[in-house]
Amino acid sequence: MLKTVDIAPGVRLVCVKTDKYKTFDINVSMALPLDENASANALLVKLLRRSCKAYPDLTAMNRRLSELYGASVGASVSKMGDAQILTISGDCLDDKFALDGESIISDFISLICEMIFNPNIKSNSFGTDNLAGEKRLLVQDVLEELDDKRTYAFNKCIEHMCENEPYGKMSTGTIEEIESTKMNAVYAAWKNLISTARIQITAVGNVTPKKIETAFKAKFKKIDRQPCEIETIFLKKPQRFARHEERITANQGKLVIGYRTGMENKFDGLYPEVVMINIFGGGTYSKLFTNIREKMSLAYYCSAMLIVNKGIAVVQSGIDTDKEKAVSAGVINQLNEIRNGKFDDELIASAKKSIREGLTFNSSDAICRYYTNQMLNENIEKPEDFIKGIDSVTKEQICEAAKKMVLDKIFMLSADSGEEAAQ
Amino acid sequence: MKINEFRDETLGEVVYTAKHSSGLEIRLMPKENYDSVFALFSVNYGSIDTHVQQKNGSFKAIPEGTAHFLEHKLFESEELDAFELFQRTGAYANAFTSFDRTAYLFKGSERTEESLGYLLDFVQKPYFTAETVQKEQGIIGQEIRMYKDLPDWEVFFNLLSILYPKHPVSIDIAGTQESIAKIDDKLLYKLYETFYNPSNMCITLVGKMDKDAVFKQIDKSIIRKKQPVPERKFDPKTPKSKQKYIEERLAVGRKQFCLGIREEIDKPELSLEDEYASGILLDILFGKDSDFFRKIVDEGLTTMEFSGSLFNGYGYSAYLISGPSEDPEKLADLIKKEIAKAQKTGVSKEEFERAKRKYYGYAVRGYDDINGMANTLTALYYSGYKPFDDINAIKKITLARVNKRLKSINVKDAALSVILPAE
Repeated sequence: MLKTVDIAPGVRLVCVKTDKYKTFDINVSMALPLDENASANALLVKLLRRSCKAYPDLTAMNRRLSELYGASVGASVSKMGDAQILTISGDCLDDKFALDGESIISDFISLICEMIFNPNIKSNSFGTDNLAGEKRLLVQDVLEELDDKRTYAFNKCIEHMCENEPYGKMSTGTIEEIESTKMNAVYAAWKNLISTARIQITAVGNVTPKKIETAFKAKFKKIDRQPCEIETIFLKKPQRFARHEERITANQGKLVIGYRTGMENKFDGLYPEVVMINIFGGGTYSKLFTNIREKMSLAYYCSAMLIVNKGIAVVQSGIDTDKEKAVSAGVINQLNEIRNGKFDDELIASAKKSIREGLTFNSSDAICRYYTNQMLNENIEKPEDFIKGIDSVTKEQICEAAKKMVLDKIFMLSADSGEEAAQ
Repeated sequence: MKINEFRDETLGEVVYTAKHSSGLEIRLMPKENYDSVFALFSVNYGSIDTHVQQKNGSFKAIPEGTAHFLEHKLFESEELDAFELFQRTGAYANAFTSFDRTAYLFKGSERTEESLGYLLDFVQKPYFTAETVQKEQGIIGQEIRMYKDLPDWEVFFNLLSILYPKHPVSIDIAGTQESIAKIDDKLLYKLYETFYNPSNMCITLVGKMDKDAVFKQIDKSIIRKKQPVPERKFDPKTPKSKQKYIEERLAVGRKQFCLGIREEIDKPELSLEDEYASGILLDILFGKDSDFFRKIVDEGLTTMEFSGSLFNGYGYSAYLISGPSEDPEKLADLIKKEIAKAQKTGVSKEEFERAKRKYYGYAVRGYDDINGMANTLTALYYSGYKPFDDINAIKKITLARVNKRLKSINVKDAALSVILPAE
């Protein structure tokens, strides 16, 4: 049973009560404009996760989670359009399985509230050592992403495409920005977060919405809320096409091709867009998989994805570096075929079925993520309504959506194999 | 077919099992109110099977990577590949090969009978030719190269190469460029006949289903085979290496390490209780709520990615502790000292109770996950266990057993693998 409740200005609870699962899931997602405060915000959410007044260090906090039958809590930073999203997400065991009859879920919700509203602050400071520790860990997170070449190449393409838009910025800010963040900025970020962020609390499990509502309402009551407005720029056409390249020593090259979809906002022609991208590179039946990978054996993977909240589509491929031209030509050719209607009804049916499958949820976590992704939308859309929208898409609409796609940037991470470099 | 019923009242779950006259094990866990079913059709044949037992009991070597190669090839039938078949029902289909298993799977919400029919059919009807095998060499070659760029993968396999220098577990699951070049269609057909024998296989379904219909459908679709299945090779004295350190340079920004301590085993597999006791032990010593973890994070020696696990399967078992580190050798030294220190005092009752409770919570919640449970039920079968033996084993673990496992660790045998940034 789905219930939506406004808890405070700009704070919404979306709760799905179900006894199907043995897990309770909760996400508290907080949106702010993605700007020069990105690093302070990112460090803040990590500090909130690290400790609170009641559990004043990482070990005490983690021991508390262990006592709650291995409940887990994560703090993450991401982008949704031109918004920065700070999320405290967690899950715990359902009360039914408690060995001593305690309410694990109530204790867990209280703990999450403590993290956000009663952080471990003394005279406006989170503690110099704590901040230094989180800076180091956040820089390590950024470096980890740099080590994953697929993600690295993807991020580079986005960075080049959106160099004049907030979306081009890293969600955590750069390493330099993280390292130079001052304590007073982090403290100000906390004040700003609880009073201005647009917040959605999404919860799934065997719990009444009232219980969560009461817990959070008590906390928000004391705060003067002035929720921020976040606008996302949707560029219909790129400023200019360009190809960028970097070289590394590796075995496999990564080719990323970025498109502007022509969407003017995140609901503009959404359903045809979703189906078109799925036909293009969504699954094993897609144009890219069957042609570039299977028929032409040009790539180990080749897929397309739609970034709805920004109106961008991205093709990603792992290839031998010397095949770049053949692959990009192949990708462009496949998109042209969709534009010209060169695909059969069976492919449309496969794409629609696959999208439908993607919207059948078999865990509390998957349901929680589905609703969390709508945190910036005014109305919550149930999966069955989304599916209706998908089912209504026609072949003409798909062709039209493909025609609106404009190539924006190509990023190539070229690989010089280790053996060659050694010679 | 005689159907056995296993019930766990606390979990509120039921599993039905049956042994088909062909020798195939069938395990079904219907979950009411779930939207999808997950099916896993597996064979007890993985990358460690590089020697095939002959009729006279001796073992004959085969190239590395055959199980994985066959997995790729079985996905093709004479008319269509498996992906194309599953497009019709909208189910998600895939396959994977591990050290000791190959498995084919689908997850779908509608037309289960049809999807199950495809799964049963393509796994039992191999079709490939000299040409299609040759083409696959290119695709698998790409796959092997891609993994060579992944620091997590490399740090792990480099470690295995010194922990188990003569054991197939140290070879990439897909084989090597040289070994796959030796694989042809004739060899694959021969190995298919040897290993893909129902008495060496298991099919598991978890989720939405009509169990009687599923039993019936499987019963009439299994192709019986007469010849016996060869025994797996077990060498309790597989040689050790004198080498205790290995490093590799990759295009990464951070150093990474994996410390391994091999366990000498006289039986091919550990008992479930020993396996879980080791998991609890590692959590007590190196978990996120341990004093040790706080110390090394405070000293800037690692990040939240630091973790310990037991890596075990048929004929191998090792404690692994891994993560990023600025100073892998110093951290490895601290880890060894920590184990030695704990061996003197033993772990405390309080630590044990907390970790066990956490483990119990994880295990119960694991029953929500249809994919995870299909894999768990399958793994239990191949190791000779009944449904729910996993959760029962956790309940039975004692402090004494954990301390016994702790005492048995031979710290002097520790080996260290390190990934360094390219110069």
